[in-house]
This record gives sequence, C-alpha cells and structure tokens, in this order.
Amino acid sequence: MRTTMVVLCCLVLPPPAARAQETNQQPAAPPADEKSVDEKLEELDQKIRILDRQIELDKEAAAEKAKTAGQANAGKDGFSLKSADGNFLLRVRGYVQLDGRFFLDDEQKPAIDTFTLRRVRPIFEGTVYKIFDFRIMPDFGGGQTVLQDAYMEARLSPAFKVRAGKFKPPVGLERLQSGADLLFVERGLPTNLVPNRDLGIQLGGDLAGGIATYAVGVFNGVLDGGNADADTNDDKDLAARVFLQPFIKGTGALKNLGFGIAASTGDQKGTPTAPNLPSYRTPGQQTFFSYRSDGTAPNTTVADGERGRLSPQGYLYTGPFGLLVEYVISRQDVRRGTAADRLEHKAWQVAASWVLAGGEPSYRSVNPKKIFDPSAHTWGAFEIAARYHKQELDKDTFPTFANLASSASSAEAWAVGFNWYLNKNLRLLFDYEDTRFEGGAATGDREDEKIFFSRFQIAF
Amino acid sequence: MRIRLALLLSALAWGLVTGPAAAEVKLLNVSYDPTRELYQDINAAFARQWKAKTGQDVNVQQSHGGSGKQARSVIDGLEADVVTLALAYDVDAVASSGLIAKNWQARLPNNSAPYTSTIVFLVRKGNPKKIRDWDDLTRPGISVITPNPKTSGGARWNYLAAWGFALHKFGNDPAKAKDFVARLYKNVPILDTGARGATVTFVERGIGDVLIAWENEALLAVKQLGGKGELLIVAPSLSILAEPPVAVVDKVAAKHKTTQVAAAYLQYLYTPEGQEIAARHYYRPRNQAVAAKYAAQFPKVQLFTIDQVFGGWTKAQKTHFEDGGVFDQIYGAGK
Repeated sequence: MRTTMVVLCCLVLPPPAARAQETNQQPAAPPADEKSVDEKLEELDQKIRILDRQIELDKEAAAEKAKTAGQANAGKDGFSLKSADGNFLLRVRGYVQLDGRFFLDDEQKPAIDTFTLRRVRPIFEGTVYKIFDFRIMPDFGGGQTVLQDAYMEARLSPAFKVRAGKFKPPVGLERLQSGADLLFVERGLPTNLVPNRDLGIQLGGDLAGGIATYAVGVFNGVLDGGNADADTNDDKDLAARVFLQPFIKGTGALKNLGFGIAASTGDQKGTPTAPNLPSYRTPGQQTFFSYRSDGTAPNTTVADGERGRLSPQGYLYTGPFGLLVEYVISRQDVRRGTAADRLEHKAWQVAASWVLAGGEPSYRSVNPKKIFDPSAHTWGAFEIAARYHKQELDKDTFPTFANLASSASSAEAWAVGFNWYLNKNLRLLFDYEDTRFEGGAATGDREDEKIFFSRFQIAF
Repeated sequence: MRIRLALLLSALAWGLVTGPAAAEVKLLNVSYDPTRELYQDINAAFARQWKAKTGQDVNVQQSHGGSGKQARSVIDGLEADVVTLALAYDVDAVASSGLIAKNWQARLPNNSAPYTSTIVFLVRKGNPKKIRDWDDLTRPGISVITPNPKTSGGARWNYLAAWGFALHKFGNDPAKAKDFVARLYKNVPILDTGARGATVTFVERGIGDVLIAWENEALLAVKQLGGKGELLIVAPSLSILAEPPVAVVDKVAAKHKTTQVAAAYLQYLYTPEGQEIAARHYYRPRNQAVAAKYAAQFPKVQLFTIDQVFGGWTKAQKTHFEDGGVFDQIYGAGK
C-alpha cells in the first residue's frame, strides 16, 4: 500500500522545482469542479486496487476452472485423457513385438527362418462413472486381426469385481501374465493346456489387502490354448482360481511369494466336422501333436464329454532372483468311432531368472532403475533366464486317437535367455531353446527343435 | 449346480465387502457463501444435542460457495445430505433434478426458511460519500461493490432489492426501474462470484464506497473490525425480506441412510437454541422470543417480499437472471 502511494505521488505530483516555481508565481486556485490532487490520488489508487483485485479474481476463476477441466497426459505409461474428478478416463496403450525365429539343424522337418510381427496390440482402456472399467485390445500380429480382449469390469469394491466380455479365464499362471511381460519370447509348454481367451462373466477381487485373490467365472468353454468369439454348443465351463501372497504386506524376502491353484470344468462335445479338440505347439510355434481328423466319423477324434483342468502354480521374486513354477493337468473325454476314452495330458515348467544389474524381477516384468542413456553411462537392466519344461500326452492317446503322422507323445525342452530392458518401454530378448520329442509318430522320434529367438519390443 | 456355486461365491464375496454400520454418522451441508461461521456453531451444538439424545456421534461437514454454483454442484453429483442455500430458486433447481421432493418447502415451518435476513449497505468510516438510500448508489462517482447475480444468491437479493425500491419510487414503472438499476450497476467496477468475495473486495482490498450486503454479513464485518468505526451500516428506507431456505436432499440422504439425522439437523435450526445461534450470527430469527431478545441489533427497515413484487423466484429468475435477461441487458450495456 505504501509503495503504491509513493509511486502514485511520483507520477501525479510535479517535481520539487516545478512546485517551487508554482509557489513563487502564486497560481490561481483550481476551479471548483476540478478534482484536487488528493481526489486524483484516491481515484488512481482505486483504479490500481480494482485492477489488482480483478487479477486476483481472474486467478481464482482460472484455478476453479482447472478443477473442472480434464487432463491430457502423455508418458511412459501411455496416453490418457482424464476428467477433473477422475471419474472418467481413457487410456491408449499398446505394444509391438518384432520376433526373429531361426531354426537350427532343421533337416527332417525344415521350418522357415523368419522375422515376424508376433504381437501388434493397441490397447484402449478406460473408466466411466468411476467404477466401471473397460478394455479393448485387438491384435494385428502375424498379418491377422484377432480381438483378444473386450470386456467391462465393475469395481464395486476391491473384493468384489464383476467382469464380463472376452478375456483370459483364470487358469494358467503364465497365460495370465501379459504378453508384454514374458520372461522368454514364447510361453512354456504348460500354456498349451490352458484356455487362452474366452467369453464369459467372472467375479473376482482381492481379499485381506491382497493377501488372497480369487476369481470364479462362467465361460463358453474353449479348448486347450483356445481363443474363440462364440460357442459351438450349449454347455458352459466353470473356471476358478485362488492365489495367495501371504507376505505381500511385509518387506521381507518372501514379500513376492505367491502360490495358488486354478481349475476349470465343463462338458464339451464335438462332431467330425468340428471336433472341438486342440493341437499342441512347440516353443517355435510348430505343431507337434494333433488328433486324428479327416472329417469322417470313423477317422476323426472328437470331444465327447467332460473337460477339466487343474493347475497348481506359484512364483517367488526375491532380490535379483525370480522363479516361476506351474503344473497343468488337462483331462478330456474323447471318442473316435466306437472307441472312447478319458485322456489326461500333463505339462509343467520351472523358469528361473536373475537380474544382473539395474532392476528387480517381478511377475510384471523388470522395471529398470536407470534407463539406457550412454551419455550418462547408464544402460538399463540386464537379466539372464533359464527354464525347463515338459508336456506329456496320455499314453492312451496313441495310436487310436492321435494323428500319428505329426504327433509326438511328449515334448521336453530347456531354454536360456538374455533380456535387456533399455527402459520401461523398450526391451530386447534373446533366447535359445532346445526341444526333444519322444514317441508318437510311427516313423520314430521327431528331430529336436533347436531355435534361436530374438525380440524387439516396444510397449507404452 | 455350477451356477448355484457361482451364486454362493458371489454372496460370500458380497458379505466380505459389507461390514457393520459405522458408529459415527456423517452429514454434508452444502451451503452458500456467508454461512460458514453460522454453521460451524450450529454443527457443534447439534452434534452435542444429537449425542445426548441418541448416543450417536454426528459429524457435519460444510461446503460453501455462491448459492447457484453450489446448487449446480449438488445436481452434478456433490453428495449433500442437506442444502442450506441463499434462495428458494436454487433449492427448486436441485428439486427439479429429482434429488429433493417437490414439496420440500412445505416440510418445515416458514416455507423451510428458519431465519431471514435483508439487504443493507456497508460504508466507510464517517460515510464520506453520504450514502443514505438506494438513490445515492446511482450518483456519478459512487463506486458500488456487489457480487455477480449470475453466480451469487446474495447478489440476486441485492439486485431485486434495488429493483423493488425503484418500482416503489417510480410508481411501478419497469422502464424507469430498469434505468435506475442500470445506473446503479454502471457504478459497479468489479463483480465477485459470491457474497463473501465481495466483502473481501470492499473490506480487505479497500475497493469501493459502498458494499451492498447481506445484513448478517455486514454486521459480521463491522464486528470483526472491532467496532472501531471503520465501517458503518446504513439501512435503506426499503429493502427485501431474504428467506434463505433449507432442505434435506432426499435421494442422497436415503442413499447414505441419513434421512432421520438430516431432518433432525434442519429441525434443530427452529429450536430456541438454533434460533439463538442464528441471531448471534446476525440472522433474523423466526422465533418471537429470540427475535425480541435480539431486536436491538437489527436496524428497522421496511421490507417487501419477492412474491409481493416479483411474483416469486421462478418469474424473477426468468425475467432478470436468465441468459439474455434484464441483468445481461443492463450490465452488458453499461460496460
């Protein structure tokens, strides 16, 4: 206030010399209707105060407007639009994987060495009215268009979430891991025996602050490794999973210990033209087992009743060490002509990893502590990995039900890998995997699949 | 069978997420700008009374702002158990959204307005501009502070009080009244969004020669300056009877299971204790005994009601404050 008045005095009052001159000349008094100096000062002071207050009000209005204005964000977690109250959100994410597959010593069954876009997945996620989430994820990988996820979820409470649409049924541990977070380029053999994506309704949530998670749902029912957009019969599958992380609230070495069990059950039947039975693939995505099928009843194996899966599973991430174990039994009633049986296929894997530098392992991948920046001499995070996994087909599958021309009765593989996480968005994976096959084919054991994988992945 | 299992699991999960009712009950009172101090005292007193009566703790939270803006917030989802707004039109707006029963005004005495106020002038020490009545606010060179009637309930009372005076002065000639109010608003250099903001402009920022204010707000400002005579209240010859209404927001209260305590909270305003508190905060009490006790602090003013002069709030709102209404015409033209 004092400063304002001094400034005003300097502006309005004439300089001392001028005032002295005026005094000497004894000027005439100002006309009665002319404002005095005090009045002019007061008027100017009011104008300045009004301007100051107007600025203050404009700032208040801008702050108020900011409270109700939406936010647009872009960053390492993708791009998002969010309402001011947070109740409405749209997030655009996605990931792209360019894989190289190079088969070694593939003489009996030559496979094509190729680069391929394994996954190209834009992800649209969002929230409406605070508790209703949605996710839409198509996949353009391999030159095909597949709708992988399309669901909505009502988050009524942390313990009570209802999800409906197309998504991963709660069975396979590695299958439930995002395709962008995998330790190896391809998932292990147990994933052959669990559903990929299905349509249904699921109830799930976290209990006791995340110590226990559960999910139970009713689904159309897909075959092992299946991903379908509609059902072929009236029967439905029930799938459920319980997973415990008893030390998640602590800070000890077992904080990231998790274990659980998952199962699915249903009745599924097929026909000679739609047998409703799976085939199984190697890590190199080559088919190593399929059922007999030529479209006729005598020579086509079809699903003929109960289909069930059981999968104990777990992981531990402590310090630089990570371990994921998974066992799956898949049981299926089958029939070929007059022959019928209940087949039980099994698979398991043990996958271990060690982060050499720059980060910590987790079920949701490694988040580098320092990003790749040569000018700062920081290089991201490095990880080595190894796994052993095996899939065994029920002995009774052969010779009646299996396609003997292209099937092995077991596949057993080991792999080593090196992963470089340049930052949260970019990573490079290099794997070598050797798969041995036994039995099955009438021509003797199939030759080993030796394959070198590379992956360049960007995810945002 | 499998479906039954799923339903059973659903029921179990639901049981996990619903717990026993909380011991403390919470209410949100969404109010207008100058009632902060009033409801701080009301809330504490009511909490004591409710605890003694029921054994239950009640925690009343407050939200304040321009009355129209507050009503809009409630309509847009602010979960108020009760609203205590500046004018019935704003409560009607909330009722129109379906959150409050249409007959809300009949549910409590005095059209659900437990206290009243009026509009007076606040001038500076010694009243240097010699402001005595509404006419003086239209004189050239007089700087008048009043908030924006588009956002402030208090400002709408101010505007209508001036309009009512002009109609009275000019024999109910609306054209002359419009000219009178236009000249008044030509003297308004700045429009705050709420009554409290206008008080800050006048009292703390030292802007203007006169503040048109709620009587309670003017009396509070005089009191807060320690009675040093820095500010004086001038009662005009004619003003408006302001009846700030209160209502339970039925749908929100039902959702929160607070209907009973919310109704009791508003009924408390009519009790002798509630009326005493209102009077202490310079609101004119409805209770005759309390009014007589505090009569000395309220200047004698001839009052008219909005129904008498304007035919009710709906009509007044549409004529004067809707977009393109009389206020937009005179304020836009004056600036």
